[in-house]
Amino acid sequence: MTDDDIRTEVRQWLAQNWDPGADRAEWAQRVFDAGWSAPSWEPEWGGRGLSDPQSRIVAAEFAAVGARGAGADRADMLACTVRDLGTDEQKERLIPPSVRGETRWCLLYSEPGAGSDLAGLRTRAERDGDDWIVTGQKVWTSFATTADYGLLVARTDFDVPKHQGISFFIFPMRQAGVEVRPIHQITGESEFNEVFITDARVPHANLVGEAGGGWSVLQLALAHERRLMGDLARTSKSSGELKPDADSLITMARAAGRLADSHIRQEIAVAEGYAAVNRWNTLRAKSTRDKAEAATLLSLGKIAMSRILHETARVQTAIVGPEAMLCGTDSPIGDAVTFRTLNAYFTSIGGGTDQIQRNIVGERVLGLPREPEPYRDTAFRDLPH
Amino acid sequence: MSTALTREQADLRQTVADLLAKRSPQAEVRRLMASDDGYDPSVWSELAALGLLGLVIPEEFGGSGAGAAELAVVSEQMGRALLCAPFLSAAVLTPYLLLALDDTAECAEVLPQIAAGELTTAVAFAESGSARPPRHPATTAVRTTNGWSLTGEKIYVLDGVGADRYYVHAESDSGVGIFAVDPGAAGLEVTALNTIDQTRRQARLTLADTPARLIGTAGAGAIALDTALDRAAVALLAEQAGGTMQCVQMSTDYARTRYQFGRAIGSFQAIKHLCVDMLLEAESACSAARHVAAAFDAGEPNRMTDLALAQAYCSDAFCSVAAATIQVHGGIGFTWEHPAHLYLRRARTDAQIFADPAWHRERYVRIREES
Repeated sequence: MTDDDIRTEVRQWLAQNWDPGADRAEWAQRVFDAGWSAPSWEPEWGGRGLSDPQSRIVAAEFAAVGARGAGADRADMLACTVRDLGTDEQKERLIPPSVRGETRWCLLYSEPGAGSDLAGLRTRAERDGDDWIVTGQKVWTSFATTADYGLLVARTDFDVPKHQGISFFIFPMRQAGVEVRPIHQITGESEFNEVFITDARVPHANLVGEAGGGWSVLQLALAHERRLMGDLARTSKSSGELKPDADSLITMARAAGRLADSHIRQEIAVAEGYAAVNRWNTLRAKSTRDKAEAATLLSLGKIAMSRILHETARVQTAIVGPEAMLCGTDSPIGDAVTFRTLNAYFTSIGGGTDQIQRNIVGERVLGLPREPEPYRDTAFRDLPH
Repeated sequence: MSTALTREQADLRQTVADLLAKRSPQAEVRRLMASDDGYDPSVWSELAALGLLGLVIPEEFGGSGAGAAELAVVSEQMGRALLCAPFLSAAVLTPYLLLALDDTAECAEVLPQIAAGELTTAVAFAESGSARPPRHPATTAVRTTNGWSLTGEKIYVLDGVGADRYYVHAESDSGVGIFAVDPGAAGLEVTALNTIDQTRRQARLTLADTPARLIGTAGAGAIALDTALDRAAVALLAEQAGGTMQCVQMSTDYARTRYQFGRAIGSFQAIKHLCVDMLLEAESACSAARHVAAAFDAGEPNRMTDLALAQAYCSDAFCSVAAATIQVHGGIGFTWEHPAHLYLRRARTDAQIFADPAWHRERYVRIREES
């Protein structure tokens, strides 16, 4: 089938079936049965075997009419991971309800002591009959309060090097021993949570892959997540991307009576230069047929976006001057400038710090050697900490 | 509008890269830096034979009438190799200027000779204090019985020594015009400037009642020159991008192979992160150069603001990356024999020759303000 055939079919199907007032569960089942839930997957998991780009077409058509339920093959981390590496029993039990939105998931990866070095995680899971007993603390978990399952990495063996003692679980969130506390961010918002886990249980049946093989499961799960982040960055308006109305700094400076200030004028052009070259990098990445060139450009996107956000906030601060000391509804402009200044760290730290990203680009794109790893063969228990 | 290279453009890039690898290696650059002429006439002939000197010259005047995108492809390679040749002045700025002046007779006489590599030209527009043409040049043109006579001083004249013809920007009673001056004309004195970048020669022209011919019409010179400078900037941007890319290449190659403390220095984050930041600048400069070229070919409405941002960005990027290249190389980068400083010298010249980054940033804001 061509892309146009798919587009036509999904449009016709939506025209015949989509009802904004439909019962949510009923609608989810209908989407699943039609194979639109996860279009690139097999029919048994809510798909119809389309290609990846075709699946994106389906999701875009659903989004265009405001219909939910398509695109789980890109957006449902639990289902993606279980489909890749789960047992048949796990797939049958976990994928359909997740794809239909009946169960929700969250990510239990980072810890207070394991951020950039995720493999240094200390949350422990010990076998107890048919269960594992989990104790530890996770951070930066979105949607922890509404999730039924957490995708959990925990240490099951402390006597082997750090990457080898980790296991990956589909961990039930709704149980005693799981406490969720919101994290108060520097912006005043709370999008993330801490999750405290004390002697909580996860059935052995929910271990994905082998015990001790969790690191490689995690790499696949993270690859799905990065792909999703890439999708969101391309489509979402609230992804931190600078608005295309590039005159916003000029408008702001004019309103603040600072547009005649030659220093401010220079700063505006500097910040807008960063945004412009990033647009041109993105356009070039999209138009080139050279895959290495595209990969190089895309790998730089996160660092470039951090620079845009920090620099734009810095120039906005220069424009508003003393107003930058004030916040609240009395001072909406000062408030917004401070919010942007602080929220820029969301991009330069979140999803791996810019410094880790520079390591990755330096090693994978420029071919520079990795740092030596003196503890590569040391048991986790013996690592300095 | 796409910045992806077509097959023909990719072939062109390869052809130029191959030629420059053979004819403009570092040893040749060094030899020409020390020479009187500053370029190799036999290489100039080869550029002509490949059609590169007639690249932007219309077919009716002996060129191939290629677009800005092709010019950018070629210039990127020339910038990478620090080619010593009067390409920017004779093969880019002059054709664009004569075309903008719409002087068919001059075009018909001069452009075919440029395309054939038989004639080099220089455009003299800057006066002391600014690399941009002054709105009211102190250099004056007065009518004589059989033409015009120029008096004044022009500086920062790119490839001004040894040019076969000069196009001089001067104020007349009918407005600013462009006037052709022959190198042997009475009252003309051409002095080589001591430039930091010996790969890009400059001259001072002093004119005292020097006979000259008006090109186009008096009063049309200012707009034609601005148009030509903006179109020629496409080539300068691409040269800057190419030079920046080459600096990143040199630095990462060195960081992979230079060992200290028992490790390649590129394994240290202090060096690794610096190299990645340089890569971001270089790729961004490259995207900027190609985008602006495509925008000029497509006649994009935003091309002037894009050009202004790109000229500021590419100038800063090339300067900072060339400077960081010296730092990454450490002691060896501080030696005259190492090429790192040649790129910094070129970068610092390129960041002034069509005005400095601050000028372009101010221009950007001014255009946005007015729109």
